[in-house]
Amino acid sequence: MGAQAPGWSEAASHTGFPHILQPVVAWVWGTMAQALGEDLVQPFELQDDSSSLGSDSELSGPGPYRQADRYGFIGGSSAEPGPGHPPADLIRQREMKWVEMTSHWEKTMSRRYKKVKMQCRKGIPSALRARCWPLLCGAHVCQKNSPGTYQELAEAPGDPQWMETISRDLHRQFPLHEMFVSPQGHGQQGLLQVLKAYTLHRPEQGYCQAQGPVAAVLLMHLPPEEAFWCLVQICEVYLPGYYGPHMEAVQLDAEVFMALLRRLLPRVHKHLQQVGVGPLLYLPEWFLCLFARSLPFPIVLRVWDAFLSEGVKVLFRVGLTLVRLALGTTEQRLACPGLLETLGALRAIPPTQLQEEVFMSQVHSMALSEQDLQREIRVQLARLPESTSGPPPRPQARLPGAQAIFEAQQLAGAQGSAKPEVPRIVVQPPEEPRPPRRKPQTRGKTFHGLLTRSRGPPIEGPPRSHRGSTSFLDTRF
Amino acid sequence: MGNRTEEDYNFVFKVVLIGESGVGKTNLLSRFTRNEFSHDSRTTIGVEFSTRTVMLGTAAIKAQIWDTAGLERYRAITSAYYRGAVGALLVFDLTKHQTYAVVERWLKELYDHAEATIVVMLVGNKSDLHQAREVPTEEARMFAENNGLLFLETSALDSTNVELAFETVLKEIFTKVSKQRQNSTRTNAIALGSAQAGQEPGAGQKRACCISL
Repeated sequence: MGAQAPGWSEAASHTGFPHILQPVVAWVWGTMAQALGEDLVQPFELQDDSSSLGSDSELSGPGPYRQADRYGFIGGSSAEPGPGHPPADLIRQREMKWVEMTSHWEKTMSRRYKKVKMQCRKGIPSALRARCWPLLCGAHVCQKNSPGTYQELAEAPGDPQWMETISRDLHRQFPLHEMFVSPQGHGQQGLLQVLKAYTLHRPEQGYCQAQGPVAAVLLMHLPPEEAFWCLVQICEVYLPGYYGPHMEAVQLDAEVFMALLRRLLPRVHKHLQQVGVGPLLYLPEWFLCLFARSLPFPIVLRVWDAFLSEGVKVLFRVGLTLVRLALGTTEQRLACPGLLETLGALRAIPPTQLQEEVFMSQVHSMALSEQDLQREIRVQLARLPESTSGPPPRPQARLPGAQAIFEAQQLAGAQGSAKPEVPRIVVQPPEEPRPPRRKPQTRGKTFHGLLTRSRGPPIEGPPRSHRGSTSFLDTRF
Repeated sequence: MGNRTEEDYNFVFKVVLIGESGVGKTNLLSRFTRNEFSHDSRTTIGVEFSTRTVMLGTAAIKAQIWDTAGLERYRAITSAYYRGAVGALLVFDLTKHQTYAVVERWLKELYDHAEATIVVMLVGNKSDLHQAREVPTEEARMFAENNGLLFLETSALDSTNVELAFETVLKEIFTKVSKQRQNSTRTNAIALGSAQAGQEPGAGQKRACCISL
């Protein structure tokens, strides 16, 4: 018991289709063997798969073992959307809303952030994530303000020490995702470039292994430059103190998480204390990777939609939901008499409990507001012992989501700074919801208005197959 | 104690894997507990663990093997990792001298966080890569001897010495534990139920079955 739990997307292939791994593993083995001058026997049918052109699906060739699911995971189980998934016309409506919102992004964010937040909670349509994520996290502004920066960083030689570490990890990030299978492919090369660029951009931070999965998910949707700026925003604005040499914010958030557990799920908290499971035994991978390694991939994307919109509060809500799903009932706790069983339960929540819509609805109804969170952070910060090494965490440097980022960037722009980098302004979340700007009766109509409001010429929708597709094929060039 | 017994075991020994990133800790773990190896196992972020029960004589020993990230910055959040560990495999990659050069630093880290009586084995992994060797066997063996460490070279890839490495450590722990218990019993017979501390250097308190918990 207590077996090491692989990621969900890979779990299917690990347990259900072991033969799928063999060609990939053996090909890598063969390549390594060649590099080292060894004379190992390779299964010869793999020669076809050893193209250096990367993971374009045209090269998949014959054979069921190369079938990737809709997210690109080889042998993955995310086939067609499951029950509860919104019907196609609802998705079309949402796409239209997002197109409209993103065409006037500043106006949208100035006046209708609540709508953005709601739509993010419902989930950004896959076709539009590539367009929306950089807007939400403010990466597009960073990129606009520093147009030549990424190019410079990409062309500069990396710090040799970091380059070695980064290179060693490239094939270990999402090894079962088709985009990251080939060392010469766009996935691994993109990862190398983006991670290297970050170490040059912030040499005092360097490289943190958890940035790998985060950058990889970004690269599944975005070209390297945009992925880079999104990574910058995540590491510096959403989660400062997570990826640096001391990870001081992770330690603080672990304490905060335990305190929230004690308040919201007291019996679970007591159980965890009794069996000796501290938050550092499970929380770091969850939070550092934004759950990219811990949840079914469709849910990971939903979590990221909400996280980019609402900030770290979402990570806490997801974490609390998972703990509740794993250990919330007396029966579950009784089944976990010790530390190993408890940790095992946290890592192996049954798939039936992780249905996308149900799960996200539980996350968003978790009784944890931004104010609650900030209060608990202040309490735990005050209780932290004087740190012997490393800087103290500075949670006030953290911006709680897209609205705060937007306002900070607007302010920085208005102040005319030549190169607004990390926003220094702390924006407190509003104490009360803003009064609605329109009469309630008209708000509903507005939502449907895109298709029906026009009394003029019909609105042309975007050609669906080509617009803002998240297929890595479309975003690579 | 009070563990559910789907399997019967007499002891639980917690063993930690430490060493630089990329030396093969995760694959040593999977090779020993599940007889699996993958070139593409993911980077370890946070803590992983796995278990396996082995027989040492008539005693069933449940080995609880813990694995964590090797990258330096994770040490800030992994100190809890060492709690209750009675054994450690300090792993380096014998094809990368740099991973051997930092072994002393890892030893210090270990002794800073774990008990002084912890059984430690120095493991030179990736012995299958003969032509890429950068650390001579004798050099590592001497270092181990001089520092009171066990020593073996292993290959998680082709399984060489993996079982032997873990079993040797577990045996050593078992021997220590048995001695402690013997000494405790003897002392109990003499002293009137007072503390059993101090029969052996660093013996600490008497430990029952579940050593680690």
